[in-house]
Formats: sequence, C-alpha cells, structure tokens
Amino acid sequence: MSDPLLSVRGLTVDFQMGRGGLFSPPQVLRAVRGVDFDLTPGRTLGLVGESGSGKTTTAMAAIRLTESSGGQVHFDGTDLMTLSQTQMRRYRKHLQVIFQDPYSSLNPRERVGAIVREPLDLMDVGDPAARADRVRDLFALVGLRPDQMALFPHQFSGGQRQRISIARALATNPQLIVCDEPVSALDVAIQAQILNLLRRLQGEFGLSYLFISHDLGVVQFICDDIAVMYLGEIVEYTDRPTLFSKPRHPYTAVLLEAAPSLARRKSRGYKRQGIVTGDPPSPLNLPPGCAFASRCPQAQERCRAEKPLLQDTGAGKVACHFPL
Amino acid sequence: MPLEKTDALMSLRDLKVEFDTRHGRVTALSGISLDVKPGETLGIVGESGCGKSITALAMMGLVPNPPGHVTGGSIHFQGEDITRARARRMRKLRGGEIAMIFQEPMTSLNPVFTVGDQITEAILLHQDVSRTQAEKQVVELLATVGIPEPAKRAQSYPHQLSGGMRQRVMIAMAISCRPKLLIADEPTTALDVTVQAQIFDLMRDIQREFGVAIVLITHDMGAIAEMTDRVAVMYAGRIIEQGTSDQILDNPLHPYTRGLIGCIPVLGREAAGAEALPPLAEIPGIVPPLHLLGEGCAFAERCQLADDHCRAQRPALEIPALQNGGHPVACHHAGITTRAELPA
Repeated sequence: MSDPLLSVRGLTVDFQMGRGGLFSPPQVLRAVRGVDFDLTPGRTLGLVGESGSGKTTTAMAAIRLTESSGGQVHFDGTDLMTLSQTQMRRYRKHLQVIFQDPYSSLNPRERVGAIVREPLDLMDVGDPAARADRVRDLFALVGLRPDQMALFPHQFSGGQRQRISIARALATNPQLIVCDEPVSALDVAIQAQILNLLRRLQGEFGLSYLFISHDLGVVQFICDDIAVMYLGEIVEYTDRPTLFSKPRHPYTAVLLEAAPSLARRKSRGYKRQGIVTGDPPSPLNLPPGCAFASRCPQAQERCRAEKPLLQDTGAGKVACHFPL
Repeated sequence: MPLEKTDALMSLRDLKVEFDTRHGRVTALSGISLDVKPGETLGIVGESGCGKSITALAMMGLVPNPPGHVTGGSIHFQGEDITRARARRMRKLRGGEIAMIFQEPMTSLNPVFTVGDQITEAILLHQDVSRTQAEKQVVELLATVGIPEPAKRAQSYPHQLSGGMRQRVMIAMAISCRPKLLIADEPTTALDVTVQAQIFDLMRDIQREFGVAIVLITHDMGAIAEMTDRVAVMYAGRIIEQGTSDQILDNPLHPYTRGLIGCIPVLGREAAGAEALPPLAEIPGIVPPLHLLGEGCAFAERCQLADDHCRAQRPALEIPALQNGGHPVACHHAGITTRAELPA
C-alpha cells in the first residue's frame, strides 16, 4: 500500500458539559476516544455508526474543524495539529467538506456561481477571469448548466444543491474531501445520481474521500475501507469485501442484520436473527468493559470487566474478546 | 360512483385532493383507488411530493383545510364514507378505530406532559373506563411495546426518552384503543437502523397479536420488502403500479418502479476480494412540479421509453395483456425494459 494521505493516531475529542450541580466538578464527555485510521490516496474510507457514535466528530477533528484534545493527524506528511491558524487556513485548499444538508450549507443570499467561486477568492487562486472559467468548468463537471450560475440556492432542488456543494468542494483541487452524510437528506432516486457522480469524480481526479454514513448500502457502494464506530471508538476496521462477507464484530453483524434489504420478504416469513435490544449506554457513564457488552448477544463476563483493544486479525482489525 | 362490494376494511375510490397554492389550484391526488384489507400491510411508496403522505392524511380525515380540499371520490371505512363524516364522528374514529404514527416522535408528543398522561388521555377519550383503570392499561401497553420498567417510564417526559422509546410510546398510544387500521407515515425515518429494526419487528408482532391492518408510507424499498403484503407505487399524485410486494419487487412493470428498485444501493453479502460495485441505475431529472403536469404521462420527461404517445396521452392504471400475467400498471409500454424492445 502507498503512504497514507491522511493518517490519524490516538485522536481524542472532549466536550465540556457544564456542572451537574453548583459544587460538583464540570462533566467531560469524551466523544472520540483514541481513534486510529489511515486513508490511502484515491480510496474512500467509510466511517459508519449510529447517531452518537462519534463518526462526524472524528472526521471534523481530523481536519481541525472541531478542536481535539489529543492525538496526531498527518496529512501528506504534515502534522496538522502543530500548524498555526494561518498555516492551517492555507492548508484548507487541500481538504474540503461536503455537508449533509444541502439547504443549510449554502448561503441563501449569494448567487450559486459566487458560492462556488468563493474558495478560489479566499485562496487567491488565479485572476478573476481564470476563476470565472474555472467555475464554469466546475458547473459542467457536476452536471449543472453555466446559465444557472446567476441563480440563488432556493431555485434549485435538493439534488442540484448537493451538486453545487460538490462543485464548491472541488474548486480548489483538493486531495481529500470529507463527505458528511452527503446523500442522507435526498430522495432515493436523487441519491443514486449523487453517489454515481461522487464515484466518477473520484476516478477522474484521484480524490480521496472520508465518507461518513449510517447507511450500510451506501457505504458498500462507495467505500473501499470501512471503520465501524461505536461510542467514540472504532470496533472494526477492514476493507469492504471482508466486512460485508465476514463481519467479525458482533455490532457489525447486528448493523448488517438490521439494515433493510430487498431479499428479506414478509411473504417468505422473514424473521430477524440476533436483534439488539435497548439503546447504547450514556457516553458520560461508560461501563468498564466493552461499551457494546450491554447490548451484545454474545457478551460474557470478561466483556463486562475488561475492555477489548482493536487488534489485527490478519484480514482487518476488530475490538472484541470473542470475534465472530 | 356506487361502491362495489368488497371485503376491504378501507376503500378509497377515485379520491381527488386539491390544494390552493400561489400557482393556483393544484391537484395533489388525482383519482386514487385503493383497498386496505383487514389484517394486511399495504405499502405506499414514492419520492417526496408524490402524494403518499397526503393519501395517509386523507385516510385519517386530516387533509389540512385550508389550503387542502377533498374535491372528489370517497373513502369508505367499514362501509361508512368518512369524507362525508362530521367532525365529531371523525374525532371518535381517529385514535379509536383508525390510529396513526408519525415520522417524528418528538414533535408528535406533547413535551409538557408525561407519556403516561398522554396515553391515559387517549384511552379516556375513547373508552368508558375510570382514570385508575386507564393508568393500569397504560403500564400494560408500555410493556406490550417493549419498554423496560413500564410503570416508571410512564412518569417520564418525552425529552427523557430516546427516539426509539418515543416511537414505542407513539405505537402504545396508537394501539391503546385496539384500532382496526394503523397508518404509519415513515415511522422509522428519524431512527437509527438498529432501532428501525426493533420498531419494524414490534409492528409485525403487534399485527400478529391484534390483527390490525397497517398502511406503511415509505420511500424505502427495503422496508416494503420486509414489512408489506401489497404495494401501491405513487408518482405525481397517481398510483402508477399496484400489486403484491413480490410482484412489484420481482417483476416491476413500470419504468419508474424499476428505477426506484435499481437506484438503491442494495446491501448484500460479497465474495472476499470482490471488485467495486457497478454504478447505480439512475432516474434522471426530478419529480415535475404538480402545477406543470400536462396531458401525457407524468413520468415521460424522465423515462427512457417515452415516445410521442406517452407525452400526448396519460396511460390508465390497468392490467396489461402479458404472457407471464400482470398486475395493474399505468404505462403504455408495460413490461418493456429497453428501447430496443419498443415496437417500431
């Protein structure tokens, strides 16, 4: 494997929660608890998990959009955590983001041509004429017409707005794009258009994606490697074929079993196997052992007492005392 | 139109709903006919704006008026046309024999009352029981929907419960008066997959136990496969294909239905070392605005098979003459999948 483009080690994010009472100490919620991953150039790494698993916080902390409280992040050999604000700002042209909600991530008072041009203006790329040409090219690239550049965001549908977000992210020729649930707000038919577009652009420009999603179907379609997160930790980390053919962590198996599929038919008397009950424990009060033990169908005494570490299994990594 | 004899619990016939908008009067539902049979699950599937939620609201007699108007057709529930029922009668039916669960359990529960109070209120409105009896029923109901420590949880306020628990509370409230029909409008959209699986399992258990018919509104073909017996596919205010879930999923006849099935990234087990999956099928373009619909097929703009006939004349929903049998579909080219197969 070639050198990773983005290499994250021991990433930790804490949130201050305020005091429980007047004299009690301030509570700290550890949202990301020592996460390691590598993103190889030209590939897509999926961060998968349920709400509250810390997948978005992990990705945002890795590109310093959320402040981290520990760990290192190397991007293309540079330690991002030691950069000054000004240096980091210059670096941002290599790291772009596509957000989940195409309605709130575009300025409603700005024409979409200007929205796509803004990163070029901020990064001082080329002269005004060159920027205008670049914006026109970007519009064509994502399947919009140049005559739409003078319109405002509200004049576009959700899918078209997401295309605008993608054009904006591509403007500075980034190497890495963080995609934070980019299709979950879209209708299924539009989802397919955007997913195909993201994949085509990746092939064309050799982009690397850090792709956050809760939808395993989407992840299977677009990701090469997958990190499954549970309560701020990676519990399984492997390549796509391995994860979908032979999940090792019971939580991954549960996620796969829970995800809807066309093959599970009521008409054929489908009954779900190995369903989890209850909700995840509170991240403010984590159990001493495995965080998944309280919901795990396979949990034993050791799981409740001793925390499993993420260990290499040969075909990926898994944090479980009794992997499947 | 006289109602033909059916064994259906609820029958919609040629239902028409219009809305006053800034584009003038727009037809949101143009002639929907549907039957819900006792004890079955009927799925209604389509993209946003296809009219599936309006259909659900109409079944509850809850089309917002103004700006909405039921301007034609009928909805018979156990033989009674509820489009003509008085408000008082509808209040009796709603929450009694017809119940509904909504997409967002946080906004459909009152934040300032405990969940126990809210279910008690529903029971007292519809049943002739004392408050003490109702409160006892509440605890039993919360246990039925799988809430741990039901007596304690009845004292909780909605914000103290997780999304999945809140949806369980909504289901407990919906089944509190033993409804015959439960309308579920995207009941799991706001929930995580593991919680969605729990809620689906609960809905199936409840159907088995109480024999309630369920209308499941969804955009998710996976939910259709897992939950429903029959399906109606909607597009731009009309039903464009209808059949058993297996007919629709295994042998879709309308190009739109084929598109909806083909465009979902389907989760499947993979062989180790498999190549990247092929690109998804796409339905180009977007749903046309309802006020711009013409005389032809509403899907023609996005359809690969569309010809002049499609653009000029809207196909009716009927069973096509096909060798391998068929089910009702509104397409001039039903059963044809590629342009090459079109007659010259």
